[in-house]
Amino acid sequence: MYLRILKKDMKRKKTMNVILLLFVVLATMFSASSINNIIAVTGGIDSYLDKAGIGDYVIIASKDNGENNAITDILDNDPSITEWRGEEQLMYTTEKLYINGDKLTGGGKWCFFLGIGNVRLNFFDSDNDKLAKVKKGEVYITTPLARDYSVSEGDEISFTIGERMFTYKIAGIVRDALLGSGLMNNPRMIMNDEDYADIMSDADAVHDLRSRVYYIDTNDVSSVKTSLSEATSTGIMFDGDRAMIKTSYIMDMLVAVLLLIVSICLIIVSFVVLRFTISFTISEEFREIGVMKAMGIKNNSIRSLYLTKYVAIAVIGAVIGYIASLPLGNKLLEMVSRDIMFTSDNKTFMGILSSIAVILLIVFFSWSSTAKIKKLSPIDAVRSGQTGERFRKKSLFRLSRSRLGTSGYLAVNDVASSPKNFSIITAVFTICALLIMMIGTLANTLCSSKMLYLFSVTDSDIFINNTSVLFDLVSGEKKRDEALSETEELIRSAGMEADVKIELFYKVAISHGDNRTLIHMLQCRETETSDYDYDEGTPPAYPNEIAITHMCADDLGVGIGDKVTVDIDGKKSEFIVTALYYSMIQMGESGRFHNDLELPDKLISAYYEIQADFTDSPSKSEISSRVEKLKDVFHDDVYDADEFVRRTAGVSDILDAMRNFVTILSIIVIALITILMERSFIAKEKSEIALMKAIGFRSSSIIGQHVLRFGIVSIIASLLAAVICKPVTQLAASPIFNMMGAGKSMSYIISVTDVFLIYPFIIISATIAGAFFTALYTRTIRSSDTADIE
Amino acid sequence: MENILEVKDLCKTYVINKRQNNVLRNVSFNVEKGEMLAVMGPSGSGKSTLLYTVSGMDRMTAGKVEFCGKDLSVLSENELSRVRLEDMGFIFQQMYMLKNLTVMDNVILPAVKSSKIKESRKETVSRGQEIMRKLGIIDVADNDINEVSGGQLQRACICRSIINRPAMIFADEPTGALNRSSSDEVMDEISRINAKGTTVMLVTHDAKVAAKCSRVLFIVDGNIKGEYNINKEAPLRDRERGLNNWLMEMGW
Repeated sequence: MYLRILKKDMKRKKTMNVILLLFVVLATMFSASSINNIIAVTGGIDSYLDKAGIGDYVIIASKDNGENNAITDILDNDPSITEWRGEEQLMYTTEKLYINGDKLTGGGKWCFFLGIGNVRLNFFDSDNDKLAKVKKGEVYITTPLARDYSVSEGDEISFTIGERMFTYKIAGIVRDALLGSGLMNNPRMIMNDEDYADIMSDADAVHDLRSRVYYIDTNDVSSVKTSLSEATSTGIMFDGDRAMIKTSYIMDMLVAVLLLIVSICLIIVSFVVLRFTISFTISEEFREIGVMKAMGIKNNSIRSLYLTKYVAIAVIGAVIGYIASLPLGNKLLEMVSRDIMFTSDNKTFMGILSSIAVILLIVFFSWSSTAKIKKLSPIDAVRSGQTGERFRKKSLFRLSRSRLGTSGYLAVNDVASSPKNFSIITAVFTICALLIMMIGTLANTLCSSKMLYLFSVTDSDIFINNTSVLFDLVSGEKKRDEALSETEELIRSAGMEADVKIELFYKVAISHGDNRTLIHMLQCRETETSDYDYDEGTPPAYPNEIAITHMCADDLGVGIGDKVTVDIDGKKSEFIVTALYYSMIQMGESGRFHNDLELPDKLISAYYEIQADFTDSPSKSEISSRVEKLKDVFHDDVYDADEFVRRTAGVSDILDAMRNFVTILSIIVIALITILMERSFIAKEKSEIALMKAIGFRSSSIIGQHVLRFGIVSIIASLLAAVICKPVTQLAASPIFNMMGAGKSMSYIISVTDVFLIYPFIIISATIAGAFFTALYTRTIRSSDTADIE
Repeated sequence: MENILEVKDLCKTYVINKRQNNVLRNVSFNVEKGEMLAVMGPSGSGKSTLLYTVSGMDRMTAGKVEFCGKDLSVLSENELSRVRLEDMGFIFQQMYMLKNLTVMDNVILPAVKSSKIKESRKETVSRGQEIMRKLGIIDVADNDINEVSGGQLQRACICRSIINRPAMIFADEPTGALNRSSSDEVMDEISRINAKGTTVMLVTHDAKVAAKCSRVLFIVDGNIKGEYNINKEAPLRDRERGLNNWLMEMGW
């Protein structure tokens, strides 16, 4: 009998059953893909670094031909070091690379060539297979080159060493655990050993370009750190422990964390709506339940009948949902697996497990929702659900006192009179709106010139990435002043006058008592230290004064007024700390020298773009047109402050992509929920719709009322989301920015246009479109249906 | 007397599972202005379908229905809506009302929707209150619809049906869901409205209700089988007896 009733129910309550099925599909799809995502991401980076064999500490040293005794002595003599591996490579600049015969554009940065035989790190391809072999004439490039310069497999890469030009075919793209993160972001090219030997054959040309990466296994990172602080003049460009390497993936993690939030929100949304739908379908069937009770069928039997139905729907939905979760899960992971190798060995198992969990949850929901059955009596069937009890007032507004038209009034009154239903929808829409706004705010924040202070840079009209000059500067072929004058001259050759400046990084050992650390100190001789923002204290006024970051001060155990010892080119000098500030440079561990302090160029370890300020104070539009002109001179590597922040943060593109993805996902979720809810409402309100038509309401008025209800909800949701966007973004993203050194100073840039206009417009449009197309169904309800309504 | 409703060769066919079901077969009749017409017949005879078809709530398959000189078969859905809103009133057996509105708001809803009577919202409310006072339900005006009795609710439906001063009221079993006392009260109100000049066409199973009308159409299998004129001057009991006798003759 149950099967017969079930079959009939499936046929008769087709719409509600389809709605329920759709939500089961959605819930399974989101939970299966998200759970897999959560598992992959949470243990992802550690597992990736382990599999790559990065060790506990890493050093990158320039001008190191493997005979850098200072470093190897430390590595050999530090008892805490159990093993170390040296990886030889050739340092180069992307600005001198050619792809398919065209000069590479899009910003210059350090890059490295390695022979596969020298590789001491495991590089993984997109299938997570370890790179073991490279054919002669081919190279494998790492993700930064593919990501930032759109270089792809099959392209030809050319470069010149000495007098010879070399050309190789790009055989594939691999992930680099050390330099592939959004913050490290230096490309590497792995080639055949014979090819590598060939490019290294011009001993003079490669003399200053040889560099080396040291992967160190140790049981005491701080001991290695202290030992290395003695080796300041050894060309160490970078050194950091595993925690720092891990933190360099912070931007990828930011995306992963956002993705987790998205996934969790989607799961919550699915289950909330699922529960609503189940409760709704049961409340719709009070008559059938009443009749069954009148016939003498027991509560548990009726509940098991419904349970059978929901289990059937849950199983079918879960199977479809699981299948649909596979591409969605891949798509979600793809957004973060560009740089990180995520291996979810139990992918299928976890997917199936989460699908089963969805089925169990639905059964649990159904069982708890069917508890309502116990309350329904045969009288409900007889009295159309009215028991004669007096309930609280339903109508909150009075048409008689309202100035609204009928459709407007009915819509407002419906929303106010059914707070439970509409608040669920409002909550779901708010979550969706919040997701878009949060990611949008992060994307805006990370490409705004207002963030310059976090990178310890002053504002300028333009930023020029004149890498070839800077390359020569770091390799010692050019002096700092020469590099700047050359750039100034190039600007002049384009008919413009500008003052140029450059922020240079000096890797120095800094100590206070027993606390020692290696940090990057910045200096720009063309600016005053007072041009920068500090959180506490006063800007360094004399050459023997410095400002350091809060993180660095904490490491050294110093405060304002304390003296620290800085090892500059083997000479120890004392400096007074006069100011503390927040900065994202080197994960928050850096400092600033006074502009008048004389520092040898050979200590320069890194640099920012050359900054130029036009002497004739041109307008913003004029600056834009000059940027375009200068692109011819500097191979496109000229941009404004916003672009500088975007490039330096290195995550805006992925955040933009993610914003688009989440926006599309939210539109789909919002539209689906609107369609399903509206369809439920129509089913529930069929008698009222027929009545309204009978007393003379046009279909368009009824459609208007229905659309308006959802419109009101989406407006409330958008406003709510806009208001709480900033604190929620702060709550979600601040821990990550704190880890990077931004600290309390991090201020999120809310674009009023985006948050109060564009995103609400998207949310409201999706809602209205969904509600409108679904409400068209009300046209099929005729006024004469009043007679058929039970 | 002028006809307010002229029905000629009205046919209504439903197609269910590819099978034609001819519910109304060439039905023709007229309703005069100010008349109170009852339609009776066994269940499934097509009474309600007739009511809904001639009131423009349902489309006819063939034939012609003229209401106040307008051919309903050629009117668009929107035009039909306007006719229903401004020139017709409806009373249903189940006392349908919008559940999120108070009794008063349900009553004045058609007036607020309509532009037929030019008045302010305040004036509409006063008019609604006046009508409800006359029908004895002013005390429940601000109540929600689940806070009033069935009889009060049906009287509220009557108020709603006359708020736009319609030319004709269509009532489908208006007393079907009421007890005898409420039923009498409701029929008295409908009779009073009719006495003031509003034409009424109602469908009923109840001879006592039909006896309050001036004419009765008896419908069987979609055809008008007979017509019975009631002498409204006669006492109600006599009218009811006469009607019952006639119905027995008709085979009911």
